[in-house]
Amino acid sequence: MFEIQNMTVRFTIGEALRDASLRISPGDRMGIVGESGSGKSMLAACLMGMVPDAATLSGRLTIDGVDMTQVPEIIWQTIRARRVAMIFQEPMSALNPLRRVGDTVAEPMRVHLGLSKTQARDRVVGLFEEVGIPDPTARLRMFPHELSGGQRQRVLIALALACDPELLIADEPTTALDANVALKITDLLVNLSTSRNMALVFISHDLAAVARATTNIAVMYGGDIVERGLTAEVLANPVHPYTQGLLAARPDPRAVPRDANGNRRRLPTIPGTVPPLDKMAQGCRFSGRCSVERSECASVKPMPAGPRHAACHAILRGAP
Amino acid sequence: MTLLKAHSVTRRYKLPRTTLLGQAPVLTAVESVSFEIHAGQTLGVVGESGSGKSTLARMGMAFEAPDAGTILFEGQDIHALKAPALRRLRPDFQMVFQDPFSSLDPRRRVGWSIAEPLRAMGVTAPNRVSEAFEQVGLHPGDADKFPHEFSGGQRQRIAIARAIVTRPKLLIADEAVSALDVSVQAQILNLLMDLQDALGLGILFISHDLAVVASICDTLLVMQHGKTLEYGPASDILNNPSHAYTQSLLAAAGDRF
Repeated sequence: MFEIQNMTVRFTIGEALRDASLRISPGDRMGIVGESGSGKSMLAACLMGMVPDAATLSGRLTIDGVDMTQVPEIIWQTIRARRVAMIFQEPMSALNPLRRVGDTVAEPMRVHLGLSKTQARDRVVGLFEEVGIPDPTARLRMFPHELSGGQRQRVLIALALACDPELLIADEPTTALDANVALKITDLLVNLSTSRNMALVFISHDLAAVARATTNIAVMYGGDIVERGLTAEVLANPVHPYTQGLLAARPDPRAVPRDANGNRRRLPTIPGTVPPLDKMAQGCRFSGRCSVERSECASVKPMPAGPRHAACHAILRGAP
Repeated sequence: MTLLKAHSVTRRYKLPRTTLLGQAPVLTAVESVSFEIHAGQTLGVVGESGSGKSTLARMGMAFEAPDAGTILFEGQDIHALKAPALRRLRPDFQMVFQDPFSSLDPRRRVGWSIAEPLRAMGVTAPNRVSEAFEQVGLHPGDADKFPHEFSGGQRQRIAIARAIVTRPKLLIADEAVSALDVSVQAQILNLLMDLQDALGLGILFISHDLAVVASICDTLLVMQHGKTLEYGPASDILNNPSHAYTQSLLAAAGDRF
C-alpha cells in the first residue's frame, strides 16, 4: 500500500503541491485530473521518489508502512521498476530510437532481476502478448519508428510491467493518441490492473478517459487536491466549484450548437486563467476565478472536509 | 455566399522507393473530397491522424496544390493564380496552427509576430495590431512581451490575433484547441464564435475530437483514409450517423460517464 500524508513540495517561487494526502491500496484504480500546473505530475513524481533536488519536501510517503522520505537514491532505483513504474505521455520520445524495442523492454529485467538474455527475451515475448502486440517475436526486433503510436504506447506499458510493479503510474497515457486507439489503451490498463492486482494511478486531463479507467478520483487545482471520492459519484455530482466548472466546460457532442434564434451557443467557461506559481493566492488557490467566493477565500486555506474531502469555504459554511 | 469551394480534390504523395527499379509507391492522402464553406459558417473536419485533414487544410491555404480537382476562393481557383495575384489574395484567408508553443518566434516580441502578415501585405498600421489584441481579449500592452511570458491559452489567442489582423474572410484552424486544457479550450472556442459573429468569418475547423467540432460547426465532414465518409449539416450527422466509423467517434466523444 502506497500512502502520501500531508505532502508539500516547495520551490523558491511557490508550492507545487500543498498538503496532499492520498492512499493507494493494491488493485486500486485512482484517477488524478486537473489542468496544466495543477500539480498532477508533481504528485506522480512524489510516488516515484523523483521530486527535483531544487524542491524542499515535507510530509510523508510510506510504502507498506515504511517511511520512504529519507530513503537514498540508490534504494529508490530498485524500488522504481520493481515496486512502482511509470508510463509517459509521448510514446515517441520515451523510447530510444536507436534501440530495438525488445532490447529496451528487456533492459530492466536484466538490470533489476538479473535475468539472462534469453530468459529476458522470453519474458518480453510474454509481455508483448499480454499488452496486445500482435506477432510479438517479430516486433522484438523492430525500432520505435516502425511501430504506430498505439503500438509504441503498448511497448511502453510492457516496459513498465517488466519487473511486475505493484503500482503503475500512467501520466497522460492517451493524450497523444487517436480517440479509438485511446479507448483501447485505457481498457488495456484497466484489464492489466485487474488481472495482476496492480494499483493504477491514471493521470489525465481527459475526464472521459478517467471515467472509463478508474474507480476513485482526485481533482487537483494549483497544487491542492480539491475534491476526491468515487469516480462515478464525483463526476455525476461534483461538489467543489472547480470540479463543477471543469465538467461544465467539456463540449457535448449532442448539444445543439445554435439556439432558437440562430445564435451560436457559447460553452460554459471558468473565468480567467491559472495564475503562475508565484502569483497563487495564499488561501484557496481557486479564489479569483470562483463563482461562490467568500471574503476569507483568498487568505485562508480551506481544509478538506466532508465525505468528498472538498477543500472549499463555501461548502464548509453550508452551500451558497 | 460561398467563400471556399473544393471540388473533388485529390492529393497524392510519392513515398520513398522500396526497390531500386520499381515504381515509387504512392500514398493518396486525400481522394476526391468536395466541400463548401459559407461566410459566417463553420465547416468541421474530423478524422483520426493520417486521414488527410491537414493535407486538406494545406491545400485550402494554397501551401500545396491538389493533383486533381479545384479549390475556389470566392470563385477564383487559388491554385491557378500566379504568385503575385495569390499574394494579394492571401490576407483574405489565414490559418491558426495547432501548437502555440512552436508557431510563435520565441525571440520576437509578440507584437512583431502579429504585425508580420501586415508587413507581408505592405501595410504599416500599428492600430490594427492593437485592435487585433483587443479582439482576442489581450491587453495591447502585451505586445511588448515575448511568447514565453504567456500561458498556452494566451499564446493561442496571440496566434488567432495574428490570423485576424489582416481582416480575413476565411480562417483555417488546424487542431487549434487540441493542445489546450478543457477550460482554456472552452474559452478559445467561445472566442472563435465571438469573432465569427463580429467579423462574419467563415471557418474551416479541423479536429480529431468530435465533441469539440460539434460545439462549433454548422456542417461536418468526416474523413477516413483520405476519403469522405459523411458530409452534411452537423446536426443531421450527429443525430443520425450513417457510418459505423462516425458512430464509433461519437461513442468515444460521448463517453459522458
